[in-house]
Amino acid sequence: MLKVKDVRKKFIRYTKSKKREEFYADDGISFEAKDGEIVGILGPNGAGKTTLLRMIAGILEPTEGTIEFDDLTIAKNELEIKKNIAFLSGNTKLYNSLTGYELLMMCCDIYDVPKDKRKKRIEEISKTLKMEEFLYNRIGNLSTGQTQKIGLARTLIHDPKYYVLDEVTSGLDIISSQIILDFIKSEKKRGKVILYSTHYMEEAENICDRVVMINKGKVIKIGEPDAIKKSTKTTNLRDAFFTLIGGAYNE
Amino acid sequence: MNSIFKILKKEMRETFRDRKSLMMMLMIPLFIPLIVIGMSALFDFQITQQEEDAKKISFAYELNEIEKQIVDTLELDVTIGTFDELSQKLKDGEIDYFVSKSDDGLANKLIVNRKSSSKGEEVFLSFLEGYKAYLQANILVGANIEPIEFMNVISFEENIIDSEEDSNFFVDYMTQYALLFIIMAITISTTYPATDATAGERERGTLETILTFPIKARDIIIGKYLNITIFAIATGVLSLILAIISLIISGNCFAIYKDMNIMLSAQSILIALLIIILYSFLISGLCIAIASKSKTFKEAQSALTPIQFISFFPGMIAFMIEVKNTIILSLIPFLNFTLVFGDSVNGNLDPIGVIGMILSTLIFIVVMFVVVIKQYKSEKILFAR
Repeated sequence: MLKVKDVRKKFIRYTKSKKREEFYADDGISFEAKDGEIVGILGPNGAGKTTLLRMIAGILEPTEGTIEFDDLTIAKNELEIKKNIAFLSGNTKLYNSLTGYELLMMCCDIYDVPKDKRKKRIEEISKTLKMEEFLYNRIGNLSTGQTQKIGLARTLIHDPKYYVLDEVTSGLDIISSQIILDFIKSEKKRGKVILYSTHYMEEAENICDRVVMINKGKVIKIGEPDAIKKSTKTTNLRDAFFTLIGGAYNE
Repeated sequence: MNSIFKILKKEMRETFRDRKSLMMMLMIPLFIPLIVIGMSALFDFQITQQEEDAKKISFAYELNEIEKQIVDTLELDVTIGTFDELSQKLKDGEIDYFVSKSDDGLANKLIVNRKSSSKGEEVFLSFLEGYKAYLQANILVGANIEPIEFMNVISFEENIIDSEEDSNFFVDYMTQYALLFIIMAITISTTYPATDATAGERERGTLETILTFPIKARDIIIGKYLNITIFAIATGVLSLILAIISLIISGNCFAIYKDMNIMLSAQSILIALLIIILYSFLISGLCIAIASKSKTFKEAQSALTPIQFISFFPGMIAFMIEVKNTIILSLIPFLNFTLVFGDSVNGNLDPIGVIGMILSTLIFIVVMFVVVIKQYKSEKILFAR
């Protein structure tokens, strides 16, 4: 179980007149994600999704609030929690000079995967994500989809409990996207907690059990996709989102 | 500790895979033999040239028998020509001066024709001294005075008192410059991997990847620091080996090192190794601290460019103006390495100076460690845009 409680993150920005200004990228966000649940984090660019997911993954520290993973907090149990998190974003890049296999072996080393199980684990993941053909090529020579698969494989090597996935299918072709989505669904069945941020509302509707809609750093709605559509009297999450923010141009 | 080694392993693999880092590590030391042997050859050529020039004298008139005897005795290289011919040679820089006779009817008046910047008149003065002595002796003989008694009322001889430093000028010069080149090689080879591991990693977007690992930010940066330092030490040791080989080759090939021991003593080699290790830690920390604050790879490279000069110039200037080491100076980074090494080469190594250098460098290294660890805990640095 993942519990995000009243999390706020303050940043500094500069106005046109070069005046220093504090602002909250995330402002009092709270939600929960249960074991075996896919929770979608939805919102436009700049809504605070990536900052939120980075805080959950332990890359950024919340200014206020707490994030609990089965009663453990990042502040007190950073390394223990990180050993159980898979964080992948569309922006995360890999080491181009390494081959996919070398990267996965390196991750096995970092996550203390027993030496005798490493090869087998890499073979399993490689088969699941259909990466056998390019596993031994340098990452710098791979296509976007192949690189993203290696990136996903990297996060799975230690069989984590929590998945924090930030727009992992953006820029991918439909086949690569589908392989990743199928994998996410299979992990849900294994009782994993999955946070899934995406721009594609249809995609979220398709795979998420619940969604957290964020705008300007605040939660505007939490619920099951069908319930949200019903409450906003819309037929899809895209329209529901616009209804909740008062229209596409009400920014 | 285990986490640091995991990051170190990862960083070392990346650096080994990075051609530019390897080129920097291997190529820069290769310039040391070129510089040491090249500079030795240049000095050798200049000294030989000076010795040859010191024997040259030109006359714009035919020498009489006495003058011929004097130039033969002094083994001078004589050129005879007309005034116009020699004037042209002087203008063209082929000769430094020439001697002509006075045209005001005074047979014994010689004129030295030269440019204001001309040098090398010592040979003329020697010639003049000999000729004058002959003419004076003739006058004294005519006056029935014994020339030897009269002319040798005072005499002198040279007693050259060179310290080891003075007699080994070229050895000191080349060995100390070799150390400066080693320091420069370390600096240059450190800036690239330091930039790549910090600003480069952020620019490539792999920093986020590494921050998701179950490894403390402190251990990540220490792993990076150690990797850069190990490569810096490798560059330094390689440079030192090449410098020693170059000095041995130069010692055997060039006359300027004749009868001198150009080979570094065991003590000097140990001091050089100590300096390489200390300096590698210091410069790696400094480069990481500066590069981490830069938003892009290019910005980091620009910010680190002055470091390459700062690392070289204090030592070079201290050497050029012959600064002597003191306890205070041995505490000043960059400067102290050259001074302590210089003392070691000259056989004047002061243990207090060495301890001062070690302590002050260790303090700076600890400060660098603290600074870079603090930086890697700062979101402002990690996610600078």
